Amino acid sequence: MEQTLDVSMLEPCEPLNRTLAAIMELSEGDYLRVIHRREPHLLYPLLEKQGFSRLTVPGHSNAAFEIYIWRQQDTVAQAAVQSATHSARF
Amino acid sequence: MLHSANLSLDQAPPLSIPLRFFLTAPLFGLGAAFLLIIYGPEALFSRWETATLALTHLLTLGFLALVMCGAILQMLPVIAGSPVPRVHLVGTLVHLLLTLGTTLLVAGFLTDASFWLEAAALLLTAGFGIFILAVTIALWRVKATSATINGMRMAILSLVVTAGLGVMLIAGRARWIQLDTLLFADIHLTWGLLGWVALLVVGIAYQVVPMFQVTPEYPAWIKRWLTRTLLFFLILWSALKIVVTQYQLPAFVVPASLGIIICGYILFASVTLLLQHRRRRRVFDVTLLFWRTGLGSILVCALLWISGYFAPALKELPQFDLLLGIGLIAGAGLSLLNGMLYKIVPFLTWFHLQNRQLTLMCMTVKIPNMKELLPDRTSKLQFSVHLVFLTMIILSIFFPAWFTHAAGVMFGLSCLLLWLNLARISWRYRAVNRTLLSSSKKDT
Repeated sequence: MEQTLDVSMLEPCEPLNRTLAAIMELSEGDYLRVIHRREPHLLYPLLEKQGFSRLTVPGHSNAAFEIYIWRQQDTVAQAAVQSATHSARF
Repeated sequence: MLHSANLSLDQAPPLSIPLRFFLTAPLFGLGAAFLLIIYGPEALFSRWETATLALTHLLTLGFLALVMCGAILQMLPVIAGSPVPRVHLVGTLVHLLLTLGTTLLVAGFLTDASFWLEAAALLLTAGFGIFILAVTIALWRVKATSATINGMRMAILSLVVTAGLGVMLIAGRARWIQLDTLLFADIHLTWGLLGWVALLVVGIAYQVVPMFQVTPEYPAWIKRWLTRTLLFFLILWSALKIVVTQYQLPAFVVPASLGIIICGYILFASVTLLLQHRRRRRVFDVTLLFWRTGLGSILVCALLWISGYFAPALKELPQFDLLLGIGLIAGAGLSLLNGMLYKIVPFLTWFHLQNRQLTLMCMTVKIPNMKELLPDRTSKLQFSVHLVFLTMIILSIFFPAWFTHAAGVMFGLSCLLLWLNLARISWRYRAVNRTLLSSSKKDT
């Protein structure tokens, strides 16, 4: 299931803080879609350390980027992300 | 833009490297304040007074350059994915050489002893030489360039010119070489303020204004053309100034080229103020006040310069050069860098702690956020004192006997508060870091 977090109107360090807090709440099969106005490069190594995978795609309207985040071993969530990003693109 | 492909947190220097630059800068500010208090009106009599030269270099080298060097060493790996080689050694050496070099330079100006000036020239050449070499290697290795990186490249080139001319001026003062001091001092200070300081501020602003103040991005054409146009006209202005002076040609072409540079900075200040006015998240932010003071000072100085061009009588007033210098160094430079420090230092501290927490997997310790590291009330108090200092230093140009000492006291207080605010963040960093380490040992 998709959990959404819009951080596009927040200033540093809130987007990173809230994203790190939100991923800890993910249940099995869930993924987090983060709506961001900048690409959060500093978040990526922190996600890796926490054992999460991510996929970044161009966003819509005022959100320049959407970052999909799921647990590395969670194949259900990974499939859901692939399906969501595929349907968003086509 | 940040580049994740190249980004590694391990490449970033330890927090102690940029912090030592940032924590030393306000101490040189305190030195400048003492000088204003001790020398009083003499420190602002004319730009050629030894006390004025000492004061100027305490601010430009001691404050502005130290903050800028520390910020570049820290930001290059993060914004360009290209770390400065041997950053620990480079940072330690550059900090030591610049700190000692600036102290000796000021001592040399105040005592008029050429030995101190020559020693200062050696140390500063070594310090800036190592810095320029290391940063140039890092900038050379950048794979994906950006407007911020281009701004940094042009700022570094301007630093080469500024520092080179500075050494030449000392050599001229020591009578090692024959030099038109007036001409080259003008070129030295113009490259220092409108090149090294201003081009870096513009380049960094492209990154930090939209990121930290949640504003729209700068227009693409400004990011593409502004810094390169400014650099081109700086080169043209310098060449024309030398040629016109040497061959006694019509002088109007010189201010015309400088006028284009001034217009470029009017554009930058106006667009930044407009972007900040259109910011998406309208919450109180002290750094915005510092930015507005700095940008307002750029606009006032630009208008003053234009007025001086059209009304030569104004330009002939003894206060004209001092007003421009104080407006650019204290009004624009100190305000903008002070504002940047209040974003960069809490952000870096928070990020290093966050990274340490995840590395140790020690989630029971709470990491303080940026507002907890730097509460609004402390930074707001320092901003108020800074504003009173700016008012008094401008008044002291017209009524030196009444306001110069008071301006010194207010500047000293402002620097002390800035130092305390930054030091508190570093003390908090050490405390949380210790808690993280001890908690992780307990867990294992």
